[in-house]
Amino acid sequence: MTNPARGGAGDDQRDLDLIARWKAGDERAATELVERHSAALARFAVSSGERNDIDELVQDTFVRAFNSLDGFRGESSFRTWLFTIERRLLLDRRRSEKRRRDRTELQESDSATEYDALDSVVADETQRRLHDAVAQLSPTQREVFALRVAEGLSYKEIAEAVGTTEGAARVHYHNAMRAVKEFLDE
Amino acid sequence: MNDCPNAEIRDQLPDLLHDRLDVSMRAAVMAHVGECVDCRSELELLRGVHGMLTAQTPRVDINYVVSALPKRAPQALRVVPRRRVWSDWRIAAAVTVLAIGGGSFAVLRQSGTTSSVTAPPPVSQANPASVDSTNGGTTRAADTVVRVADNARQTQATPTDVSMSGDEQTASAGLATTARLADLNERQLQALLDQIDQLQAVPITEPEPVTIRVRNQSSSPEGA
Repeated sequence: MTNPARGGAGDDQRDLDLIARWKAGDERAATELVERHSAALARFAVSSGERNDIDELVQDTFVRAFNSLDGFRGESSFRTWLFTIERRLLLDRRRSEKRRRDRTELQESDSATEYDALDSVVADETQRRLHDAVAQLSPTQREVFALRVAEGLSYKEIAEAVGTTEGAARVHYHNAMRAVKEFLDE
Repeated sequence: MNDCPNAEIRDQLPDLLHDRLDVSMRAAVMAHVGECVDCRSELELLRGVHGMLTAQTPRVDINYVVSALPKRAPQALRVVPRRRVWSDWRIAAAVTVLAIGGGSFAVLRQSGTTSSVTAPPPVSQANPASVDSTNGGTTRAADTVVRVADNARQTQATPTDVSMSGDEQTASAGLATTARLADLNERQLQALLDQIDQLQAVPITEPEPVTIRVRNQSSSPEGA
């Protein structure tokens, strides 16, 4: 049983109020929306393997979202909707990068390659081990695991953001958790 | 690191980490975690992953993000032009109706005035008795005289076709020049009354009952 007053309907209502204020011409409402969700979007980008130009990615996500706000019906939470948009941008960015470099590092078989570049960033040994454990997950497992662990989204919200079913999201999470534990036990 | 067999509790651990559980469920999960080593270890792992991902995430420049957002015009300003359009249409329709209605009224009034001046009612001009002689009373006759005088003055009509003596003509001339019965002298009044008496009265034409007789065809000699 999730608590609707925290991270749920309460925050969702606050987002809807801010959206209504922005539509009425209140620019400060847009700033508050960015402040509320930019960190989560950046975290999701990093956990998905993105390292460069995080600000641009977050900015593009918000620009697309605000340009499409008239089509946002509130069926999912605003944050989940933002994750959906950011995920598409990430896929587009990876495709263009793949074409440009003629590389396949973002495919599942090479998913750990990009994370190798982050090795120097992670100084702490424990964090480095955790980082490596997450890095060896498949992209879908990594996305689901990050949204569940780092953002606390429910399986239903994860399914909406990633474009899968609630049951599949649950399976991805438990497979990811098992894989991380096995990596750390090695 | 082993998995706890209680899958339901394990599913709630991320929600416990983000404080998204209601009071009763939170108490149940906390009680289980307090007794279950595997769940305690998994909860610590979740905290470590969360901390690792947060530490790796760079700080986002809020102003940079906001600077690219589209500007939204206030809704009130967006609605005003539509209302003005409707208002303009209403004003245009009202002006059109007023112009057409006013023009029609002016034309009708103009034509009515012209006809009354150029073509006065022939009854009051030529045969006033046809209107007022039904009663024969003095009052109505006097009213007739006033109207005749008015019409004669307006249209400068010729004397009526009723034959008149000299006094009568004088009275008529007086009628033509005077508008009030009180302005006539006694002789003129007498002449006017005599003139009225000479007029042939036209009774009110009410339809008389008509008896329709239908002959029986069979009783006629032709049918026999």
